[in-house]
Amino acid sequence: MDWNLFTSTTIYASVLALLSLGITLIYMTTKVFNFAHPRLSLVAAYAAATLMAYYAQSTGAQPNLTPKSSFLGSLTVPFSWEFYVIGVIVAMAFGVIAALVEYYGILKPLQRRGADYLMLMIATLAYDFLLVATLFIYNTHVDVRKVLARIGVLSTKMSMTSYDVTIVTSGGAFISGSFIFSVILILLLGVSLYLLLFKTTLGVKMRASVENPPLAEVLGINVERVYAISWIISGLTAGLAGYLMLMAAGAGNLKPISATSPADEIVVSAFAGSIIGGVNSIFGSIAGGLLIGYIELYIPNWLAIWTGNAELFKYSKVISMLAVAITLLFAPEGLAGLLKGERWKKLFGRKEEEGVSEE
Amino acid sequence: MAEEEPIMRLENVNAGYEKLQTLFDVSLEIPRGKITVIVGPNGAGKSTLLKTLFGLTTVYSGKVIFEGKDITGLPPHERAKLGMAFIFQLNNIFANLTVIENLRLAGHDLPKDELEKRINEVFETFPRLRERMYQKAGTMSGGERQMLAMGIGMIRKPKLFLIDEPTAGLAPKIAKEVLANVKRLNEQGYTVVLVEQNVKAGLEIGHKGVLVVSGRIVFDGPAEQLLARKDLAKLYLGLAV
Repeated sequence: MDWNLFTSTTIYASVLALLSLGITLIYMTTKVFNFAHPRLSLVAAYAAATLMAYYAQSTGAQPNLTPKSSFLGSLTVPFSWEFYVIGVIVAMAFGVIAALVEYYGILKPLQRRGADYLMLMIATLAYDFLLVATLFIYNTHVDVRKVLARIGVLSTKMSMTSYDVTIVTSGGAFISGSFIFSVILILLLGVSLYLLLFKTTLGVKMRASVENPPLAEVLGINVERVYAISWIISGLTAGLAGYLMLMAAGAGNLKPISATSPADEIVVSAFAGSIIGGVNSIFGSIAGGLLIGYIELYIPNWLAIWTGNAELFKYSKVISMLAVAITLLFAPEGLAGLLKGERWKKLFGRKEEEGVSEE
Repeated sequence: MAEEEPIMRLENVNAGYEKLQTLFDVSLEIPRGKITVIVGPNGAGKSTLLKTLFGLTTVYSGKVIFEGKDITGLPPHERAKLGMAFIFQLNNIFANLTVIENLRLAGHDLPKDELEKRINEVFETFPRLRERMYQKAGTMSGGERQMLAMGIGMIRKPKLFLIDEPTAGLAPKIAKEVLANVKRLNEQGYTVVLVEQNVKAGLEIGHKGVLVVSGRIVFDGPAEQLLARKDLAKLYLGLAV
């Protein structure tokens, strides 16, 4: 097995899972397909990079790239742990801010004026353009450049990959901090979302508000607050995705963020993950994002090896588009639909419970 | 006597949905502790009348009074806080949640032991719900769903139940059961306003009968009197005489 392909694909797949989750969550609650969603992570990445660099500048810290030996192998930790913690926290905070600005600054006012879902969808595209333009102005600003240049990061091609924590095991395997972080993140995310949705009152309220907003309101549940919480969660996960994109640029299909390629391509894959997950399933979206990440890189890789044509790697997005087409044609409910009980019950000849609905 | 004081009153209300007026100069009293049954032909404005009580329509003029207070402009969730429970005709439960989750959600703002006590009361009134406690509400039968919808209402101990056509689309046998449950609800002391398309069965469990035709109240009196008015039955209700 190609270990490096596996780790970089895992990071990429985790980023997609985080983004697909955010898209699905917003679609389920506010019924808006948020085209600006992947770009929220860009805002988060820029903010994290700037403040991490600013932190290094203000403390006078220099990257230390000499490996130390540890029980795992040779370990390189370029900056102190605060540097990374600041990155994660800033990324999450800015992801949330960018999400809430979108919701309260654009979508809610439009909704109050009677905008329909189509209008809101177009509005998210407009917000997307606005973010790209703003970030372009931001990262060409001379002060921003200076701060970033201080630790050797180019504002035009932002990547902190060289400052990622790395371990090279005695067997020669290369493990990056982003890989470990992304694996832990996805596991934690799955478990905490499960606990939130199924074991807390807030979670039950969220599920109720998604299923039947008028009834939830009649029962005195503040549906509006539930929506705000879902935007906050979606902003948080976008922020985490942004942090990973920054730290692991070049892993999988992650491009270094730049003014000319501001995370454009990832939009396609993130939406593919959401659709394959079933659009209306939180856990489906995580699985869908992961699946897209792996097949987008592994299938072209196998094809390239099989045909001996490395050019095939360029067509990885075709794979996700095909996966979307197949899903919509043959299993429109996505992975969530495939896992639902009915299909299996039918297979084993079990009858549906009687009197399911007389309406 | 307090008993005589109606729990709710409409005074010369004109109401409808945005620009479409469907109720014309409606005045009505809802007696405390009784079942008031609103009947009438399709499209007459029965449901609009019920929704007007709960603030789900636009009131152009007139007054809506609840326990002596003018609540005409009050939004539905505020009315829920005052002690009104509205049971929708459809989608009146959370199909993806279990029975117990539905009930707990209904009492989300109650202290824990109080909530458990009230859930127990619901189970005592509707033992079938206890059997189905951990079942997803969406997998229950139509009658059981209506039972759960009433249970959800009971958790909040409302002063007034507004129930919109609970038997619509149900088989006659189950419809009968649902109406029996409405009666049981009333016997527990709850005041009920019921909109019912099954005129005879509805009026049989009701104390007061209200006949709505073309957005106006045509009859307002004891339910058995309305049931006995063959002329009205023939004209508007399509009942075989």
